[in-house]
Amino acid sequence: MVTIAFKDLAKTNAAKRGMPLQRICFTPHPVWGKTDEQMYAYLEGNDPVNNTPLMPEVISALTKPLTDDEKKSGQVTPPVGAPTFTDTSDNLQQYFLDNGMTDFMPITLPTQEKVDAMLKATSHKADEVVGKMTPAQGAFPPWSYNVQQVAVNAVMAGATPDYFPAILAIASTGISALFSSTNSLVSAAIINGPVRDKLQMNYGIGAMGPFNQANATIGRAWTLMSKNLDGGGIAGETYMGSQGNVINYNNLIIPENEKDSPWPPFHVQKGFKPEESVISFFFGFNITQGQGGKGLGMKPIPHYHEAMSANVGPFASLFGALFILDPLVANGLGDLGFKTKDQIADWLVKNTTVTVKDVKTMLFSGLPRGPEAANLTDDSVIPKWARADAYNFVVCGGQTNPYHQLANMSYRLSVSIDKWA
Amino acid sequence: MKINRRNILSLMGMSPALLAGATAEARQDKAKKDKTKGAKGAAVEPKLTVLNPRGIPPPITLIPMAPRLATLDGKTVYLVSDGFPGADAFLNQISIWFKKNMPSVTTVYRLKAGGFADDDPKLNAEIKEKGQAVIMAIGH
Repeated sequence: MVTIAFKDLAKTNAAKRGMPLQRICFTPHPVWGKTDEQMYAYLEGNDPVNNTPLMPEVISALTKPLTDDEKKSGQVTPPVGAPTFTDTSDNLQQYFLDNGMTDFMPITLPTQEKVDAMLKATSHKADEVVGKMTPAQGAFPPWSYNVQQVAVNAVMAGATPDYFPAILAIASTGISALFSSTNSLVSAAIINGPVRDKLQMNYGIGAMGPFNQANATIGRAWTLMSKNLDGGGIAGETYMGSQGNVINYNNLIIPENEKDSPWPPFHVQKGFKPEESVISFFFGFNITQGQGGKGLGMKPIPHYHEAMSANVGPFASLFGALFILDPLVANGLGDLGFKTKDQIADWLVKNTTVTVKDVKTMLFSGLPRGPEAANLTDDSVIPKWARADAYNFVVCGGQTNPYHQLANMSYRLSVSIDKWA
Repeated sequence: MKINRRNILSLMGMSPALLAGATAEARQDKAKKDKTKGAKGAAVEPKLTVLNPRGIPPPITLIPMAPRLATLDGKTVYLVSDGFPGADAFLNQISIWFKKNMPSVTTVYRLKAGGFADDDPKLNAEIKEKGQAVIMAIGH
């Protein structure tokens, strides 16, 4: 039995798992938050999809003899279309759009000539398998893809060949930017090392806005790959975010402003050398501005760390906190005595607390488990996050205002871009 | 065995147009828009050949469905939640419905281990040994 919100997802997922005729009965959505009487009324009513009385339908699904089609075995390979399409430019744009292969904005048409130019930017062969991707781990079987298929998506996004190693590095992780969850989640990538200047990426004024081709199109390529390389991004089927998220258009691409930061760059924290070009991935809820919030403490030197602590209070514990600090804020924190990012994280663990009572009211509350949890009362004060690695920091911005933005996101992994050159 | 590829494709959320052959034009259904078929003397818009951006899906092994019961009378039906909020309360209402309307049916509630997409071999073995049917609740 499936709630109607997941109608298409349930049917297509059953088909992809080899049960295209799975007997599925539907209830209204949601069941969560409904009274017993309301839920019982669902049972006494009709299946809203098939428009037949629900419980008799359930009984029938369990007792009606199988048809010959329902008994079938064998193997099918889902078709994904011809290797090439030929038509006029306008018709091809419309074809890509109609078949869900775009972000619903015009694309650069991936001609062989443009794809070949992209392929020249990597030492890897066109038919080399790059990785596997799925819209949701465990829920959908992963698809595989090769270097050329990544190149096609890179061309579509408007990327130049110089950007291709970074795009291949993203593809190699198999991380979909359009993870299928009802939570409308977003993805972020921090870029470190010489590649930022080689690609003339923007880590200064307006770094996270639409002001730079590399920042914009590397992120857009990630979204297009997340639709085309794994069959993802089909709303209602392989994408279930209730409201969606504007960040999904080209994701949070954050080249770190290493030269104006008082601390070692992010990739060095993760064990890479400064001269390596690396991309690091984050995943979670949204991003918000943290300036002017409770705790900033204009004393007269702003106590940025207090504002940062206050601002993460309402975050869901499911993910951690990623702070994107303008260099003015980073250096201000340095002047306040935070000589490393780890020192800020340790301060936040000790000083960012919540009561058990408040935590219980939150979705994805993350209440402590284990023996220590037995001694907690509603009035007990516990760390928002007990682990320092829940807090991450990156320096980015043009120093026109001491702002910081913060995302309710967790670190996933870092990979080499150089490997894909 | 004959498989209707268009139906399978449709169930997988893809356009059956993707079955078009390599030499087919991308939008035969909108050929009227093609300026190459326009009035005599009109400018001919060039055609481009572009590459398919799709990845490679794995083959799908069709799984025959489990044989059905002749009747639920006297049988044990497992009510399984995948752990999403509200599923437990909803399945409890199904249990109440059976008691009222089909009292010979025994219901057993279980919460599946792991995430919603994870297998639970221990529970599957229990159901196989002690139950005859399963109603699984998915959603919230």
